[in-house]
Amino acid sequence: MIFANTRSQRGFQITILAVLCLGAVVAMAPMVYMASTAFKPNAYSPEFPPTFIPDNPTLKNFETAFSSRNFVRAFFNSLGVAVATSALVTTLTAMMAYAFARFEFRGKNPIYYSVLAMMMVPTMMLIIPQFMVARRLGMLDSLPGLVLVYTAGAMAFNMFLLRGFFETLPRELEESALIDGANHFVIFARIMVPLARPALSTVAVFSFLGAWDEYIWALTVLTDLEKRTLPVAIANFRGQHASDWGLVFAASLTAVVPTILLFIFFQRYFVKGITAGALKG
Amino acid sequence: MKRKLLIALLVVVLAIPLGVTSARQDTVTIEFWHTYNEVSPENEMLVETLIPMFEEANPGIKVESVPFPYDEFRQTMLTALAGGEGPDLARLDIIWSPEFAELGVLEALDEVMPDFQDYADRVFPGPLSTNSYDGHYYGLPLDTNTRILWWNAAMYEAAGIDGPPATIDELAAQCEAIKALGDDKYVFSDGGTYGWAVLPWVWSMGGDVTDPDITQASGYLNGKATVAAYEFLAEMVDNGCFSPSFLGGGLGTEGFFTDVFATVLEGPWWYPLAEAQYPDFEIHTSLMPAGDGGSISVVGGENIALFKGAETEAALAFLRFTQSDDYQLKMSEVGQLAVIPELIETDYFQNHPYYGTFLTQLETAKARTPHPRWTQMEEVLTEAGQLILRGEASAQEALDMAAEEIDALLAE
Repeated sequence: MIFANTRSQRGFQITILAVLCLGAVVAMAPMVYMASTAFKPNAYSPEFPPTFIPDNPTLKNFETAFSSRNFVRAFFNSLGVAVATSALVTTLTAMMAYAFARFEFRGKNPIYYSVLAMMMVPTMMLIIPQFMVARRLGMLDSLPGLVLVYTAGAMAFNMFLLRGFFETLPRELEESALIDGANHFVIFARIMVPLARPALSTVAVFSFLGAWDEYIWALTVLTDLEKRTLPVAIANFRGQHASDWGLVFAASLTAVVPTILLFIFFQRYFVKGITAGALKG
Repeated sequence: MKRKLLIALLVVVLAIPLGVTSARQDTVTIEFWHTYNEVSPENEMLVETLIPMFEEANPGIKVESVPFPYDEFRQTMLTALAGGEGPDLARLDIIWSPEFAELGVLEALDEVMPDFQDYADRVFPGPLSTNSYDGHYYGLPLDTNTRILWWNAAMYEAAGIDGPPATIDELAAQCEAIKALGDDKYVFSDGGTYGWAVLPWVWSMGGDVTDPDITQASGYLNGKATVAAYEFLAEMVDNGCFSPSFLGGGLGTEGFFTDVFATVLEGPWWYPLAEAQYPDFEIHTSLMPAGDGGSISVVGGENIALFKGAETEAALAFLRFTQSDDYQLKMSEVGQLAVIPELIETDYFQNHPYYGTFLTQLETAKARTPHPRWTQMEEVLTEAGQLILRGEASAQEALDMAAEEIDALLAE
């Protein structure tokens, strides 16, 4: 530490720690409440004040959720859709971003900005036109159709993120590879992609989460119960007049597990990826 | 090697969604969209008992039950219909029927169903009226309900009050004794200023949203009786007699079971829930407290409607089945009150522990304005209620403004 550990310095650190703890408590409270409610029987109405440790903890809610007709199926539908979306988005945006970062070609900027412009259109505005297109293409009630829409929707932002990262990589690497006789595809696959791993992980995680959480579009296009995804299945546990929140939260808790695993798995790359390219974008 | 494995894995995952292909069928399949919660007894009754019963009696027709969450159902349906897709049959909240009829997506049952009148004559006239639009009927009632007064006997006893209020004045007079139990106790509570919550008070105090022909709100919504009803609610919230959750704070009826609210208005669906979550709680109900206009609660419930482009004959067969005594009685067992007055005479209803009060209340209960613009009208109403109950505008001012906006909606 550069500064002497004076009293005021220590006071400052304690304040920071206190603020961080407070932030962590605020951020964690809803999760903890969800987790505890998931183990409460018959939680139709949330208690006030809330209790975080259930009086009679039970696994009944999980049993009900898992034995309901479509929950497990929905879980695997979501997993398939999210993994496929994540793989497609990562592959396609990496190639696009590399091209935008390194090549000069006619119309580069107009194309780049029109892709970015897609980020500015609110999703809800597009839902009816999108529905009509999906219908013409026979993509209603179809999981591959869902993957296509999710992939298209995630392209702009992730491409933007990756372009910034590729631009931070030194050009000398490519130049020396070119001299050694490598073509652009080899450079991209063997040099750039391995170097861009932190940024690619970020894109993979973001696009996975996007597809895993998406609700309105999935609800609108999927009517076949066997094809419905997890957010739709969870919403169907809610009732018109009253809901068994224990059941809803047990299902939600199940849905959070893969995302937590994913985050832990990618964490070491992920945190680097968000800040990478921040200085030179 | 690792890479090949990864690629193989990717290919497999990408192929999962392609795996399911639908088999060709000789039978006609109809889709029935509804909002029964997927693990509810209603859904179970429909899927496990009633649909199999129908399919057995009608070989060649298969009914596919498609549940949606209630909150997003209307919007999802509007999107699907705008895109040219939709169900064969749907269970619509009675407040949505006129809107869908106006969109031109529903079949007029009195035109496509030769025996429509026979069915129409059998059901409660109030719920039936919510299907009418522009001189035709676009559905039949499927289930009905209303809100009655639930009163917390333990709180009443502690406060030394004999029994539930028969009139609105009595309820107001009971406030003091209830408040004596503690600062956080309320004589009544509700969850917002939407029509479902506010209209029982407006109607019971002699007010209304529009004239009987639904042509204008001016003179009704901002009339003397309606203004007085809103002033009463504002005063009760202001002096702490009615809970602040009336403003939409979210703390709805649950405080009732934990001795915070002495009374609430609730529907029949609360019985099974109360029994499950608060098995020791003693349930007592009575009619909506009466005012100058009588004891008038709000009609809820659902209609069943037939969509254009449907497999009409097969869909009508199922629609007729939903009007049968079997279907109506079975659904009543899981909290979906029957719409056929004749059934009230059956042993099932006569011996039922709590349907009686609901049926009495239904005799006078009114439907929220059956009009295609109701959803927008209700937004205006909810906002005006907020302004009044928060004390940001006088009842007269806010309702004058609301009446003008609703007049404009009615003139469209």
